[in-house]
Amino acid sequence: MLSLCLSACNQPPPTKATKDYAARYPSVAGGTMIGAMTAEPSGLIYMVAGESASAAIASNIFNALLKYNATLDLEGDLAESWTISDDQKTITFKLKPNLTWADGHPLTSADVLFTWKLVIDEKTRSPYASDYQLVKKAETPDAFTFKVSYDQAYAPALDSWSGLQILPAHLLKGQDIHTTAFARKPVGSNYYQLDVWKNGENIQLSRNTKSVLGPAQIDKLITRIIPDNSAQFLELMADNIDTMGLDPIKYSRIIPSRPELQKNLNLYKELGNSYTYMGFNLKHKPFDDIRVRKAINYAIDKQEIIDGVYLGLGINIASPYKPGTRWSNAALSPYPYDAQKAKALLKEAGFIDTNSDGILERDGKPFAFEIITNQNKEREKSAVLIQRRLKDIGIDVKIRAIEWASFISRFIKTGDFDVVVLGWGLGLDPDQYSIWHSSQQAPGQFNFIGYNNPTIDKLLEQGRTELDPDKRMNIYHEFAKVLLEDCPIVYLSAGYGLTAMHKRIQGIVDPIPPAGVGYDSHKWYIPEPLRRNEISAQ
Amino acid sequence: MRIDVIKKALSNPLALAGFIIILTIFLLAMLAPVISPYDPDEINVKAILLGPSWIHWMGTDGLGRDVLSRMLHGGRISLLVGLVAVGISTAIGILLGALAGYYRGWVDTLIMRLVDIMLSIPSFFLILAVIAFLTPSIINIMIVIGLTSWMGVTRLVRAEFLSLAEREFVQASRTLGAKDMRLIFTHLLPNSLTPIIVSAVLGVASAVLMESGLSFLGLGVQAPQSSWGNILTDGKEYIQFAWWLSLYPGMAILITVLGYNLLGEGLRDALDPRSGSNR
Repeated sequence: MLSLCLSACNQPPPTKATKDYAARYPSVAGGTMIGAMTAEPSGLIYMVAGESASAAIASNIFNALLKYNATLDLEGDLAESWTISDDQKTITFKLKPNLTWADGHPLTSADVLFTWKLVIDEKTRSPYASDYQLVKKAETPDAFTFKVSYDQAYAPALDSWSGLQILPAHLLKGQDIHTTAFARKPVGSNYYQLDVWKNGENIQLSRNTKSVLGPAQIDKLITRIIPDNSAQFLELMADNIDTMGLDPIKYSRIIPSRPELQKNLNLYKELGNSYTYMGFNLKHKPFDDIRVRKAINYAIDKQEIIDGVYLGLGINIASPYKPGTRWSNAALSPYPYDAQKAKALLKEAGFIDTNSDGILERDGKPFAFEIITNQNKEREKSAVLIQRRLKDIGIDVKIRAIEWASFISRFIKTGDFDVVVLGWGLGLDPDQYSIWHSSQQAPGQFNFIGYNNPTIDKLLEQGRTELDPDKRMNIYHEFAKVLLEDCPIVYLSAGYGLTAMHKRIQGIVDPIPPAGVGYDSHKWYIPEPLRRNEISAQ
Repeated sequence: MRIDVIKKALSNPLALAGFIIILTIFLLAMLAPVISPYDPDEINVKAILLGPSWIHWMGTDGLGRDVLSRMLHGGRISLLVGLVAVGISTAIGILLGALAGYYRGWVDTLIMRLVDIMLSIPSFFLILAVIAFLTPSIINIMIVIGLTSWMGVTRLVRAEFLSLAEREFVQASRTLGAKDMRLIFTHLLPNSLTPIIVSAVLGVASAVLMESGLSFLGLGVQAPQSSWGNILTDGKEYIQFAWWLSLYPGMAILITVLGYNLLGEGLRDALDPRSGSNR
């Protein structure tokens, strides 16, 4: 009843139905593409904002020295070429000729040097500073050359230079990076520039005619700020936005059941570079006992989580890397679901149900703990499935879902938790020093589970200084093996990234390259017959 | 309350309707373990988000749990929270209102200013703030709702005490040497019961709403325990598709709150001589 009314209210006007989205059109410039995001960026200087909303917009405006191509190899972005010295400690970047900022000012190596100084400045307090602090010396022999030297060879160095968005020195010099108006009125060098930012409503980008990489096809990118996911989906159904990320239920249940949506939307599915896990606070008893951690791992049915929560749109993993990439150790297999083995391990660790209440005890204390997670439906559901499986083997689990900001400040930063269900989104370099190295346990740092394993520490240190790709791969395969054996976390699933895109957006690389569906988006185009009326686009 | 008063109250058709609604919901909630077709926490990943059918009368939720069973068990939580929270707020309200109305003077000033301060804070936000510092659980929710909604009762009781204290039978009793406690418990309080009962019944309605609101925001009853509020949250995401997850808990909250309001209003009409005379 309700569903009928809602869909009827959102039927597009009949004129739109006559558009033929199946036809092939030649690439043409112009048009407006409308997207949506749930959170508004705090600013567009990514090194300060450090949030995904900021990155999503800023990456259209700024360039880095390097970028990843379709097959995830590094290529020049602002840099035309780069050379690595024989001792592997110095990298020399050559910039492309005649680079300019969107305001016409030339872009030179001085801007790069300025950006590096800014990111390592203590006053900037950038969460990404650590990579760049390892640079011992940076210099600019001429306007097109930027040279950095490290104390010792640093394997993730090149990757790090693909992550640093270069900012214009002539506009930012002498300004306080935290309060500068530039964060809301940026001038960049990439395909787009900021047009209008309506607070809480939308951010409009238009094509940068002076783009260092040549012109993009689509004229305007509008990103609407719609905090609620279901409201976003209503807007997608009403054809008021062109693209959004989907959850498994929308992807495999709702859209397929609606022919009018299927007719207008292309759906994309790609394995993301992220995974969901259950992490133990290793400083709390009894999680310091490897038998307990393993028992819990055996007791959790990961396939059930993938089927029930992700509707099959996930993969069971055994190493903290995207399956199928060179860093992922294919020889490892996940802990199978085996309740009997779990019970035996717990018995070995001294947990016995002495009072026949169904809950195990050790030293008179029942085995009970709390799983905390942020308010993310998939994670909450996973926690409920885990809770049930652990009850089967005699562990009493409580679940608590907490809003993100207080989740981080009150529980993660203070280490005041037993078990978390969370996810890691990973970069392309295999270095995971900041997540697993024992030195990274200060409040706010990423090793909040308190993992401390000298073997892992050594492997991580080796991996950072080894530049030979094959040797480096072996190091990370060994790292994943030790990690799996030691079981500081339980891998739950690597989920697929699911995207809906209106069929009016054409030129999307097919099949999806390793770099993802968003790759080469400057070549996307909207054929004139398929465009919205300009009024409805606003 | 005397039998004829109850009779009078229930002769009011609205009050009778409210009473029947509440009674039905109570019976359903009490019998939940017996009449639920399924275990409310029983997960079935092969039956996710099924629509209403003969097998699942109210469909299933995002983990394949039977919505009808969860609704019945959730009803227990909602009603329990409503009753206990109102019990707490009424007890506090009577105590403070009696103190203020009986002793007057600085005690009255102090308590009434406290009431003013509490009333000046929007109660839902106060509750949100308090819950954010505590662990959300049924017990905490009941206590917090109780501790933040006693002000109305305090004012009522104080006003009743102030007016009753001037009446002849109280004055007479006082002259005959009755002690404070005797005056309060045998004369003042029993004669103030009417407005207290009415306000308590209406209070249950707002406590049920409050609990649903908190659970909807994820600050109330925690998974896997069901309550109408958190079934509604689960449904929010799929409202265009799985309407049964929004409709049924929404209706349950609506009907319960309506029931309590009808009963409360009806009782007021029946028991209060000032408003009852014109019926």
